[in-house]
Amino acid sequence: MNILSPDTAFLLLLALPFAASPVVYLVGRISARRAGGAGPARWLAILVMLALWVPLVITGQVVAGGSQLELNVGGVALRMDGISLVLAGAAAGLGVLVLFFSIPYMAREDNEEKFYALMLVIVGAMIGLGCANDLFNLWVWFETMTVSSYLLVAFYHNQRGSLEAGFKYLVQSAVGSVLVMFGVAIVFATTGTLRLTEIAAAYGAGGGAPSLAILAAGGLFIIGFGVKSALVPMHTWLPDAHSKAPSGISAMLSGIVIEAGLVAMLRSAGSLPVLPGGEQISWGVLLLGFAALNILAGNLLALRQKEVKRLLAYSSLSHMGYMLLGFGVAAAFHLQDAAAGGFFHLINHALMKGLAFLAAGVLLYALHIARGDHSPLMVDDLNGASRRYPLAAFALSVAVLALGGLPPLAGFMSKWQIFVAGAETRNLWVILLVVFAALNSVLSLGYYAPLVNRMYRRETSEVVQAGAKVRWIMSAPLVVLVAAVVVLGVMPWLISGITNPAGDTLISMFGGAAMMAGR
Amino acid sequence: MIQTLILLVICLPWLGALLVWWAGDSRPRLQHGLAVVFSAAAGVAAIALIPNTVGKEAARLPLPAGGVFGWFSFTPDGLGVFLTAVAAVIGCLAVVFSVDYMRGEAQLGRYYAFVLLFIGSMTGLVLTSNMLLMFVFWEMTALCSYALISFYNDDPKAVAGGMKALIITQVGGVGLLLGAILGFAYLGSLNVDDFLQRAHLLPTTALTVAAFGFLIAAAAKSAQFPFQTWLPDAMEAPTPCSALIHAATMVNAGVYLLARFYPAFENVPYWRLSVMVVGMLSALLAALMALAATDLKRVLAYSTVSQLGYMVYAVGAGGIFASQFHLLSHSVFKALLFLAAGAVIHGLGTRDMLQMGGLGKKMPVARAVFVIGAAALAGLPILNGFWSKELVLEAGLEHGPAWIYAVMLFVAGLTALYTFRCVWMVFYGAPRSTAHAHDAGGFMRAALYPLAFGTLTTWLLAGPFSQMLHDSLPQHSIHTESTGEVALVILTAPATYLALAVVGLGLLAWWQRERLALLSEPLQDVIGLARNSFGFEAINRGIVSGVQSWAENLRDVQTGLLNWNIVGILAGLITVLVIVALGA
Repeated sequence: MNILSPDTAFLLLLALPFAASPVVYLVGRISARRAGGAGPARWLAILVMLALWVPLVITGQVVAGGSQLELNVGGVALRMDGISLVLAGAAAGLGVLVLFFSIPYMAREDNEEKFYALMLVIVGAMIGLGCANDLFNLWVWFETMTVSSYLLVAFYHNQRGSLEAGFKYLVQSAVGSVLVMFGVAIVFATTGTLRLTEIAAAYGAGGGAPSLAILAAGGLFIIGFGVKSALVPMHTWLPDAHSKAPSGISAMLSGIVIEAGLVAMLRSAGSLPVLPGGEQISWGVLLLGFAALNILAGNLLALRQKEVKRLLAYSSLSHMGYMLLGFGVAAAFHLQDAAAGGFFHLINHALMKGLAFLAAGVLLYALHIARGDHSPLMVDDLNGASRRYPLAAFALSVAVLALGGLPPLAGFMSKWQIFVAGAETRNLWVILLVVFAALNSVLSLGYYAPLVNRMYRRETSEVVQAGAKVRWIMSAPLVVLVAAVVVLGVMPWLISGITNPAGDTLISMFGGAAMMAGR
Repeated sequence: MIQTLILLVICLPWLGALLVWWAGDSRPRLQHGLAVVFSAAAGVAAIALIPNTVGKEAARLPLPAGGVFGWFSFTPDGLGVFLTAVAAVIGCLAVVFSVDYMRGEAQLGRYYAFVLLFIGSMTGLVLTSNMLLMFVFWEMTALCSYALISFYNDDPKAVAGGMKALIITQVGGVGLLLGAILGFAYLGSLNVDDFLQRAHLLPTTALTVAAFGFLIAAAAKSAQFPFQTWLPDAMEAPTPCSALIHAATMVNAGVYLLARFYPAFENVPYWRLSVMVVGMLSALLAALMALAATDLKRVLAYSTVSQLGYMVYAVGAGGIFASQFHLLSHSVFKALLFLAAGAVIHGLGTRDMLQMGGLGKKMPVARAVFVIGAAALAGLPILNGFWSKELVLEAGLEHGPAWIYAVMLFVAGLTALYTFRCVWMVFYGAPRSTAHAHDAGGFMRAALYPLAFGTLTTWLLAGPFSQMLHDSLPQHSIHTESTGEVALVILTAPATYLALAVVGLGLLAWWQRERLALLSEPLQDVIGLARNSFGFEAINRGIVSGVQSWAENLRDVQTGLLNWNIVGILAGLITVLVIVALGA
């Protein structure tokens, strides 16, 4: 196992995607000119993404063991802890599967090589975002991720719909970024440092700086990053962007990019000082408020939706709400179960929503895209899909039932962990919120279950009858994800080695350790 | 040994489900065969488990989970083992019956896979001693029930019925979830026995919330007041599933839950009374609805709700043994009634009783077994339904309020009335249609005869059954009596003859229905109300359409206009800053 020292592995983990991305682009460009296809670029990108797992596993073992890795590259402070590991693992894992899936899916598109190059950038940016230990760097990684995702959302640049979606996404994200920038500026002005681990201490040393400024900075972080993580009412870009992007990108956006925004929010808000009198609790309470809003709005908006990918996009809102419920309880009550549950749900959501978008993507590809038709996949199109596409239909069924929280699938277990943590607060309001969230989970079945029903009908829709064949390489990622969703649902303890360290990190960020020391 | 048996009884059906699915719909004979073999094997394993019922410690099957997931443990005590046997044996008979009933149907793989998945999940539900797993299996049975109700999913009625069942039972499931997580929050354990032993350590509020949460869960699962509406609509399922899931097993899970947790909740103020009232209202309203219904399967569904009401009532009165004994009788005779009805429906091609009548001559086998089941349902001696219903009523008289007892007695009369109305409309009188009808086939008979035999004899198990419950459930304080003693008590109690007299009155009312027609003016109003399900359907529809229109209206906020989107961001910012400033 001593191929690489953990520190070298950490550096490699961050550098490899960015170093490889231009190479992938060039290779693809050259081969496209010569042979008229971007074949080598695809496989090179997949190779890089697989190679990324070597440093990831090496660093992951250290982090899962409870320690942290620190790295300074020319003043850029990086630190790999439990949260970084969750984000990096989810991004690299989903990234590999999306790349495999996209080989046939993107094969007919112009500039296909750009897709692969950008995929490496977006994954690299998310890994970096998870490891940033400095507010400004956090913002830079975040922007890198955002910029690469604009290009991917608007990848079908001949389509009006995807251009519109990309433009809205651009403008709204830019507004969010500006707010974050204000927040960073305020923190720097008040404390004189941007190092995440030092802000709180520097504030304490400085003495009587106005606490209102710090609170305003926290508010700006929550709203600014909240745009990206689709907190209601800042979510309006999401349904367009997630449904108009190529399905692999939809999976990345819903499965991991909005969660990266959430991690950035938690990192920045968690770095702020614990004020005497426990105002720190307000961040947790705010998150709980957004949790309630997101859960309800996401479900209601999805309930009457007729486009499959839009429906899945709205359901991401409510799942963001479940994560916020876990993280909010963790921040406000310092319960490790809540934080670990939140990260468990984050991982599960990457798997479930990734699976849902990829399975929907297989159907969209077979029913529309293979015929050069960019119209959306409607709910009615799914009728009888299982008769021609048994694997895709089964995968989509597993995904939506898992999203709806039906046991024994993964989505249930993480919701359970979050709900148990909610009860552990022994706080009436939180318990009521848990009941509300559980009832909403039932409501969500109101739109998930009919999807499953449709796919197993006997009378097939016309598009299904005329559908194209699907290559195995598109289906392979579905098999992997279905297995993951089932295995984590049956054996939830398998993942706790990763979610628990992440939970501990989050609790200590929000002053849990300080509180415990104070008792 | 015990561990192996537990694993076998849960996993054999699941393995069968996988194989049936794997076999593919192009090989229906193989699918039928696999389903029968695996369900029969599970039945054998379940019966083999009965003599192995033991006290608490000896037979756990712990799997490592830990933390908020507890230990994934299984404990084969009397309550669980008995329900396992019911689920696996009746499951096997339902599968055998399906060989005839489902012959030639498309998508057999989906059908058998879910039936087998259900059997395994149901046994898991009653055998586990971990509340998380209990909830998991609880939801899995709901999923199977949903999938089978919606089996004919090109039919909008079947789809709607499935959704209704799923949503209502899941809403109730939130009560179970709440109770379980509160238990963990205060006791740090998800083990059922821990919960029963240490429930008094919970704060009163938490215990009360858990107690009523479990009652809500049980009422939703067992189709009790006010959640009873899903069960009649679940009758769109293929009839063997109705017999298995919606009569003999899954709907009993609610009664099981209440019985299992009774020792923890019996001292919660008003809990027992609430349980009894829920049982009473369900029994009464459903019996009236059964009297008004004209769809054969819906009549049986209403009678299931009504009989489950008796069991719930018995639990509330503290008669755990009585409730479980009636559960056993009911599972057997109601499965028999449903399967016999399935034979009729299969033979005739309709469920509408208005098109039946005089079928007895055309299908003597179906008539014979149906009449046996109906007599047990009505509570005629010496069928199993008689003994258990008398035990339930006795428990109620001893430990419950007299007014509830009076209502339950009245319902016993109603039960006799609607049962004989149903038998008459189907098998006797003049034929109301000239449709061709054929009698039950060979596989159907193979399932019907054992059930008919059981209906005549399961009451003889009263003694060993009470012994088993007594030995393995120390916290339920169940008295053990031999079958002879039980019979003697019932036969010498005056209440028995009172109940029999009421049942007789019910029969008399059907016999003399022509003369009673004069009195029936006011009755017509009640019947009209019953046809409209006493307004509960309207409430359901109101809730659904309310949520739908709310969702529809909310779509307007997704304007798609960038300016408004930015307004959303700014509104969020201002709100948060104001909150933060106020909080500072």
